[in-house]
Amino acid sequence: MPRYYFNLRHRPGPGGLAVDEEGDELADPEAARAHALLLARDMIARTRTEIVRDWMACAFEITDEAGALATTVRFGEIVPEIEG
Amino acid sequence: MSQVQQSEIRNRLLKALSAEDFALLQPHLQPLATPLRHTLIVPNAPIKQLFFPEIGFSSTTTSGAGGRAEVGLIGREGLVGASPVLLGTDRTPHDHFVQSAGEMLSIETGALCDAVHQSRSLRRLLLRSVQVQIIQTAQTAFINATYTIEIRLARWLLMCRDRLDEDELHITHEFLSLMLGTQRSSATLAVQSLEGHRLIKARRGRITLLNRRALEEVADDGYGLPEAEYARLIEGA
Repeated sequence: MPRYYFNLRHRPGPGGLAVDEEGDELADPEAARAHALLLARDMIARTRTEIVRDWMACAFEITDEAGALATTVRFGEIVPEIEG
Repeated sequence: MSQVQQSEIRNRLLKALSAEDFALLQPHLQPLATPLRHTLIVPNAPIKQLFFPEIGFSSTTTSGAGGRAEVGLIGREGLVGASPVLLGTDRTPHDHFVQSAGEMLSIETGALCDAVHQSRSLRRLLLRSVQVQIIQTAQTAFINATYTIEIRLARWLLMCRDRLDEDELHITHEFLSLMLGTQRSSATLAVQSLEGHRLIKARRGRITLLNRRALEEVADDGYGLPEAEYARLIEGA
């Protein structure tokens, strides 16, 4: 299975990316995206930290083994959009 | 084989024993190399041996369907297996494995129990170390419920440093997340945060402590309670 790296963007600039050097094995980019949403949900609910000012401004910049951007998952995507 | 001499011991519990109490244990202490991840106590199985860490330390973890988390750290201040055995049972649901490689002095459970039955002062000292373990676990519960991930990481690094002779720790973020009871991404955030304040230096699979005093300031009252109780109860500070 390919390995995906869940780099966490918590503010703009180079200091605002928590680089994932270890990664997780997942079937494909869609599975990586689903995993990222689970992670985001858990982190918002359970992680108290001073480095993140606004969880809703965070995103996972998911890269593949070659270092290329596979997909981006915004933390805001865990909230269903309200119509109207 | 020559016996281990008390003057050469690093384990603080063994050092704190009277010469008479040490002599009860001495013939039974066997030096054992303890490689990384080596299992010391298997959950829910009879405990055949206990371990006095000399170099390196042991991690106690508990697990369930939702994951696994560290609930205790035992190094040269303690005795791995003391809680279940001294409190009257031959097994524990918790996993105990080597978190930092080194050397421990093993002792057969029967030999330890015999010595404890012979000496009230030995039993008292070892039971006091169990009390310190309980305080440490309670403190972990408290800070996990209350404090930021940065404070939790700072405290954990200080606890490791207390049980090591160097400032460098070999650990992946995956494993760190297990120790802190959090997601790997949260562990990575905490590492980045402490590194941003120049308290630690992180490279892949390694964390180096740069400033112990500043780490203590970050950890604040999250760190130090079991350590102070240890000094009071075991070393008579």
